[in-house]
Amino acid sequence: MIKSNSAGKIIDTTLTYVCLIAVAFIFFFPCLWIVLASFSKSGSIYSFDGFFPTSYSIHTFKKLFTDTTMYNYPRWFLNTLFVAVGSCVLGTLLTILTAYTMSRFDFKARKPMMKSTMVLSMFPSFMGMTAIYILMTQFGLINQIWGLILIYAAGAPMGYLTQKGFFDTIPKAIDEAAKIDGANSAQIFWKINLPLSKPIIVYTALTSFTWPWSDFILPKLLLKEKDLYTVAVGLMSLDETEFARFAAGSVFIAVPIVLLYFCLVKNMVNGIAEGAVKG
Amino acid sequence: MGNCFEKMGNAIKTSSYKVKLSALFMGSGQILYGSVAKGLLFLAVEVAFILYLVRRGIDDLTGFFTLGTNKADAWLGTVGDNSVVMLLMGIFAWIVIAGFISLYILNLKDVYGIEEQVKNGKRPKTFLQELQELLDSKFYITVLILPVIGICVFNILPIIFMILISFTNYGGSIVPPELVDWVGLDNFRKIFTLSKFAPTFGRILGWNILWAFASTTLNYFAGLGLALLLNKDCVKGKAFWRAFPVLAYAIPGFITLLAFKFMFSYGGPINQIIRANGGVAIGFLDLDAKWSARVIGLLVNCWISVPSIMLLATGHLSNRDMSLYEAARIDGATAFQQFKKLTLPFMLFATMPVLLGQFIGNFNNFGIFYFLRGRLYLDGYFLASDTDLLINWLYNLSIDNNYYCIGAAISLIIFAITSIISLAVYVNSPSFKEEDTFQ
Repeated sequence: MIKSNSAGKIIDTTLTYVCLIAVAFIFFFPCLWIVLASFSKSGSIYSFDGFFPTSYSIHTFKKLFTDTTMYNYPRWFLNTLFVAVGSCVLGTLLTILTAYTMSRFDFKARKPMMKSTMVLSMFPSFMGMTAIYILMTQFGLINQIWGLILIYAAGAPMGYLTQKGFFDTIPKAIDEAAKIDGANSAQIFWKINLPLSKPIIVYTALTSFTWPWSDFILPKLLLKEKDLYTVAVGLMSLDETEFARFAAGSVFIAVPIVLLYFCLVKNMVNGIAEGAVKG
Repeated sequence: MGNCFEKMGNAIKTSSYKVKLSALFMGSGQILYGSVAKGLLFLAVEVAFILYLVRRGIDDLTGFFTLGTNKADAWLGTVGDNSVVMLLMGIFAWIVIAGFISLYILNLKDVYGIEEQVKNGKRPKTFLQELQELLDSKFYITVLILPVIGICVFNILPIIFMILISFTNYGGSIVPPELVDWVGLDNFRKIFTLSKFAPTFGRILGWNILWAFASTTLNYFAGLGLALLLNKDCVKGKAFWRAFPVLAYAIPGFITLLAFKFMFSYGGPINQIIRANGGVAIGFLDLDAKWSARVIGLLVNCWISVPSIMLLATGHLSNRDMSLYEAARIDGATAFQQFKKLTLPFMLFATMPVLLGQFIGNFNNFGIFYFLRGRLYLDGYFLASDTDLLINWLYNLSIDNNYYCIGAAISLIIFAITSIISLAVYVNSPSFKEEDTFQ
């Protein structure tokens, strides 16, 4: 009895590890493929032998940053960085403030506002694209990258529900204690709740950074000049013969984000889970 | 409601001329009661509003109904009306009016409140006190004003605009400088009956619903399975194994999608290997690739979405009540029974909102087929291909081909479908029905 049980355990463990290795392979292989392709010497996907390039060099990376006549990657990169940082700072601030007030204050318009955001989020996300385009032409913001920041930051508070869920978990007794000690609402927010909500701030900042970082619909719609492209739009315009350039550009843009995620994954998991349960 | 009217009636009867003056000139009552700064602010709002109405508001409002009467003529050199801008500015005018009305009501309430206070012998609050209140007990007004304005301009206004566009004939050859007109429900009738649109709509809708259910189910169970696998006691070095899906999660979606497109393309490695072994290449971008392209889309979407569900599920799994599992094991439940009776209901309960979000996200998953197989127009479809979802068709129609009104009508239909499905799912879900099972 005991023997068969332990034999079952060994089989179980082996199977588990086989599955784990398979999963790791499935997720790792495409990443490895792109990284190796970015070091390909020839650049075109047609010269590859199966999955991998036949010879390697760092030529593509050099080309990516120096050969800017057709594809101005450095400019694209700076544009993307500008948009992403701008929307991240503004969007996080607005989202956190909105979520906090919706969680802590009880006012007449609160319930209707929550319900209407639920309904609004049901509309297909780019249903209003034509209208946004016309609005931006009216404001004279076509071909202006900070026009993008405006739209991303203004849209960010729509997704406040996750953050609200997090603030709901911070006991209100703390607020009341602070109030008795004479703190006003602004002080309670900045000095007491904000330091307690690091995980959710990190989560919000990360999501509001990665959204513009990898969005392509809006920049494609609003930026018409090749020099104003963001990386997503720019990389899309490359074809199979420029595969190595695409791969190098992708690696360069993915690596910072990947590192960020790995540093912050613990905060992320807590943030998502706590926000979602009580949402 | 009745109570409210009664109160208002009383207020009208009992209030002094100062309140009545405020009804005519906003803020004048407040000035007479000594709150000069606030009164001037209210007065300024009224002046600004009237100026706006005179300078363009009234024109914008009439433009909203007529959508322009004056057609541009290059021969005579007349600059005509731009119907679309008129519609947009018309909506904007309605929003301004709504804002003004609420300020007007606020003004009356405020002056009445001051009067009551004076009658009861109290001193009304000073301007400084009120400002302080905005930072303290009414902190929410200060905070919410920016987000609300932003959402009104960049979310609500465009949505209203698109809803209204679906009732006009904007698009095709009727774009400014041509004049656009209201056509009622004509666009919806066209989508359901016209031979140009109806077959395409039917086919895409069927595939879209199938896609949404299939991909959500697949992603959910794969993500949950992965979380359970990583959660097993016998797995050593959990952080190491978890790193691989997180890696996939962290890479921006458009890179993943474009990379997979290259991988499955004609010159790509998969077809090279198939051909080297004497097989027939998967014409992923071919016109007849229907099911192979759909399945590839499903798998690629899985690669992208499973890690996030895994992370979420990992978070929830650590919240489980392990004593229930102990009890189940003593009663002789198999691992599968434990999963079916304990883990699954708990997870469904905890992740229902997320699951719904996933479903809607998948239903409207624009990126996946746009990047993998974008811009293909097949026979039997009107400006679409057999992998396109409604959202892709909407994009092809409105952004690429100027069929704005049909596109807008389709986005309303998408809204109707997703909201009905999610409402139905939510009402029948354990999170709604048995709210306190797991609390």
